[in-house]
Amino acid sequence: MTLDSKIPEGKLEDKWSNYQLNSQLINPANKKKLNIIVVGSGLAGAGAASTLAELGYDVQCFCYQDSARRAHSVAAQGGINAAKNYQHDGDSVYRMFYDTLKGGDFRSREANTYRLAQLSAPLIDHFVQQGVPFAREYGGTLVNRSFGGVQVQRTFYARGQTGQQLLLAAYSQLYKMVRAKKVKMYPRHEMLDLVVIEGKAKGIITRDLVTGELKRFAADAVVLATGGYSRVFRLSTLAVGCNGSAIWKAHKKGAFFAAPSFTQIHPTALPQTSEAQSKLTLMSESLRNDGRIWVPKQKGDPRKANDIPEEDRDYYLERRYPSFGNLAPRDIASRAAKERIDAGYGCGKLNNAVYLDFKTAIDKLGLETIKDRYGNLFSMYQKITGIDAYKEPMQISPAAHFSMGGLWVDYELMTSIPGLYAIGECNFSDHGANRLGANSLLQASIDGYFILPNTINNYLASEMKVDRPDTSHPEFEKSELETSQHIDKLLAINGSKTVGHFHRVLGKVMWQECAMSRNRSGLEKAIVQIKAIRDQFWSDVKITGGKDELNTELEKALRLADFIELGILMCMDALEREESCGAHFREEFQTEDGEAVRKDQNFSYVSAWEFEKGNFKLHKEELFFEFVKPSIRSYK
Amino acid sequence: MHLKFIRKLILALSGLFLCLFLIVHLSANCLLIFPEATARVLYNTYSTTLRESTFIKVISYFLYASIILHVWYALLTTISNRKSKPQKYVVNRTNENSTWSSQNMGLIGILILLFIVVHLANFWARIKLGLGEEVLLDKHGNKDVYEVTYSLFQNFYFVIFYSLLAFPLGLHLHHGLKSAFKTLGFYHKKGLELLAKVSLIYALIISVGFGLIPIIVYFK
Amino acid sequence: MKIKFKIWRQEGPEDKGAIKEYTVNDLTEEMSFLEALDHLNEQLVLKNEEVIAFEHDCREGICGQCGVFINGRAHGPINNITTCQLHMRSFNDGDTIFVEPWRAKSFPVIKDLIVDRSAFDRIIEHGAFISTNTGSAPEANALPIPKAVAESAMDAASCIGCGACVATCKNSSAALFTSAKINHLNNLPQGKAEEHKRVEEMTAQMDIEGFGSCTFTGACEVECPENISIVNIAEMHARLMKAKILG
Repeated sequence: MTLDSKIPEGKLEDKWSNYQLNSQLINPANKKKLNIIVVGSGLAGAGAASTLAELGYDVQCFCYQDSARRAHSVAAQGGINAAKNYQHDGDSVYRMFYDTLKGGDFRSREANTYRLAQLSAPLIDHFVQQGVPFAREYGGTLVNRSFGGVQVQRTFYARGQTGQQLLLAAYSQLYKMVRAKKVKMYPRHEMLDLVVIEGKAKGIITRDLVTGELKRFAADAVVLATGGYSRVFRLSTLAVGCNGSAIWKAHKKGAFFAAPSFTQIHPTALPQTSEAQSKLTLMSESLRNDGRIWVPKQKGDPRKANDIPEEDRDYYLERRYPSFGNLAPRDIASRAAKERIDAGYGCGKLNNAVYLDFKTAIDKLGLETIKDRYGNLFSMYQKITGIDAYKEPMQISPAAHFSMGGLWVDYELMTSIPGLYAIGECNFSDHGANRLGANSLLQASIDGYFILPNTINNYLASEMKVDRPDTSHPEFEKSELETSQHIDKLLAINGSKTVGHFHRVLGKVMWQECAMSRNRSGLEKAIVQIKAIRDQFWSDVKITGGKDELNTELEKALRLADFIELGILMCMDALEREESCGAHFREEFQTEDGEAVRKDQNFSYVSAWEFEKGNFKLHKEELFFEFVKPSIRSYK
Repeated sequence: MHLKFIRKLILALSGLFLCLFLIVHLSANCLLIFPEATARVLYNTYSTTLRESTFIKVISYFLYASIILHVWYALLTTISNRKSKPQKYVVNRTNENSTWSSQNMGLIGILILLFIVVHLANFWARIKLGLGEEVLLDKHGNKDVYEVTYSLFQNFYFVIFYSLLAFPLGLHLHHGLKSAFKTLGFYHKKGLELLAKVSLIYALIISVGFGLIPIIVYFK
Repeated sequence: MKIKFKIWRQEGPEDKGAIKEYTVNDLTEEMSFLEALDHLNEQLVLKNEEVIAFEHDCREGICGQCGVFINGRAHGPINNITTCQLHMRSFNDGDTIFVEPWRAKSFPVIKDLIVDRSAFDRIIEHGAFISTNTGSAPEANALPIPKAVAESAMDAASCIGCGACVATCKNSSAALFTSAKINHLNNLPQGKAEEHKRVEEMTAQMDIEGFGSCTFTGACEVECPENISIVNIAEMHARLMKAKILG
């Protein structure tokens, strides 16, 4: 099978309108007859479900949480980018496109990335109209701020709650359609399998998380909007329930998995403080605007941070990257922190953190200014750690964050299975090998609100002529049976170790070998180790409780079983890509002073993995740069 | 539609009317602390004037209605609110997030109602309905209401009863006054801060006033 | 740390439920309260017992999914935080901690500490939106919104829907939740077109769901993780009366 990205003809700026001109339409009367399943209710899922319903389709929407409003889009604090050029600072769609492409180290499609920038401005209009209380100037116009590694101010925000506010807008719009009986909402339902009939996605199998009942749902198209999979590292900035199961099941049913190893490590999270820790809380990247990052010059310095004099501090980012200093991009800042921590200079109880110090800024700008800028972050820090960061430096540490990788999709956001779409973080589309700050809310929203509702008709127009299969179809029978057997098998193991134990072990391997920096021998070792973890898991896991009830241990086990398999693929992908690009840093491919070496001649492609009877087969989608010339990222 | 809210509106409006009434009532009671001869003349004249005024007659019907509505809708609201929380917590530290009186307005209300019943029996029944011991006339030909009051407060137990029950009244008013305004949609932030202070001062004046007068009369 | 947990266990909506006691010896001060429960659950699995079902997701105080009554307080002994932001350092070695689910007629228990808060979704369904479809928005800066208005809308909009207000309220009133949403939208010019309908329908739904009426104990604003002010409720009342008169 060859990968057709279906990029439309024409100039960069005309491609999306050309696409829309040529795509097939469906008349409103017929839309009613078409049913679409949307799995996930975050910004992408809720946006898509409500917009599709507004267009007239019959929509069924699923989420594992108790309400659509809980989806992890809520956690994005910083903001959302848009090329509005309200600040008159020379921003444009093209510049935003270029920043995003360059930020992703030229590992994404030009056409997709351009469309992201192009649709960003109307998206802000949309959210304002939906009642999102964005920050305003006294004159009543919208405020912007700058964000990680770009030179213009194009980030819109609603206090420290941008993600929450955007999701609430999407959730409200979704429930408006629920009330209009155009969307049927299924909270506390987890998708456990995809049903493919005659090569097309035609439905899903879900587990009702309250009763344990397996249910079948048929549709004319299935949209996955299930978010990122960085919980494969266990400790991450993601919600504890975030998982990769839906996309993994789709992958096993034939959808190609693109660039699984492209996962971003965020530099400013709170460090792990105990073995039992379940989550690493993210502190907004904006803190790096005024905070200075350092570690002691002496290994294992026993003194308290405030007792360490200036001459004994190593401001390593300022030392290594004099021009960007503490504002170096995420991947670089994370890697530099790891380098210091691994070399034994880490601070904190477990020697796993670096200091983020505001003393200089407070001295220079005054306490009030810092309070005004970061007050909510400092109080959040205090709530979690009990430490007053106005008085002593914060301790921060890198943490697994965003997954750029995901299901391979074409320009229409359709996966390699016809009728199966992937939108938002669960696809691989716009961010390449590294995502820029404040671009994730953007991509999720644009996929859901603007792109999918304009591309799905192109597929459904032809499906109009085909009858929707009934849930009694043998493929549904088969999928449900397999799912049920999978659950029975897990429950029957009755071993001696908890699900949590296996997740910790997996997380350690992944964090050690497949996170900020990777190398051949480590990855090869990791694959062997993960396969061993898989075998132990399937022979020694212990899950109490039954399948016909609310069983949180069973939920965790089902998700972990998929994470383990995904972990193997991530390591394989990282092993195969013999270059360093974006968040993917291979130790063998670096300059003498430790900078990434990208190999455009051999690796300017998107890796897309096919699941083939337990093995993974690599397909390559070559990336063509017609309009820009890939350059080398330098932040020195 | 909005039955629960309408009930609360009636509660608030009747409550506020009763608050206003209490000011007038307390002012009149203050006459009792003058020296005996002056107090008797003033108090009896005042009460005769009230009884003979048509305007006051109308107001008094409002008053009866307010008491009845306030009690009745408080009862309905409490019953429906209790239904909304059928199962209580094993441990519930309400004292850490709210005042005792705000949590127990119903209980306090019952005490006050008990007081009102006794109070009406002591005065209203005798003076207006002519039940029990006959009320004599003073030398100006007015009903000697002063004597009714004075003789009642020579009884130690009544003094204790009247004075003690001024406490729950104060608690009820302190929470009730400011809440009534919020129920009626007063949402000016600064205004509400001021209102909280006014409620406190008002509750203090009313409860201390009503609490002290029986004691003063007792020792007269 | 050694902690004695007294936790509400209830198999399902029909089960009567009871407090069960568990002692955990090896907790540390750095653990969050939910991590302590995770830890207890792992011990239960190894003892072949069913784990305690509780809700949680983001574990950083923003999704609103977690929420239990801890030692007589919604989200525990500290004001204005979520359960996941509570850490064991707020307790002493040897303490006994009572853990109960949210209690309200409109939040029926599903299992152990998990309750059904879908009543909130149904309140939202009755008007917490602006009835315009995707694609019909005017230019964002075409309609200036004064900073003070945007800020006050944001104050109200910050609600995370955890349900602590209902849980702590002796009347299980949803007035804080509902009013926050109404005031967020009704304050903004975009929300004006439907302001009366919104306040009437959402408050009516609040009653239909069986929530009690607000008696201004003020407990809700002390437990609200987002510091949403009780003044919102008074504002909602004003809006409701205005809607009744003008609407």
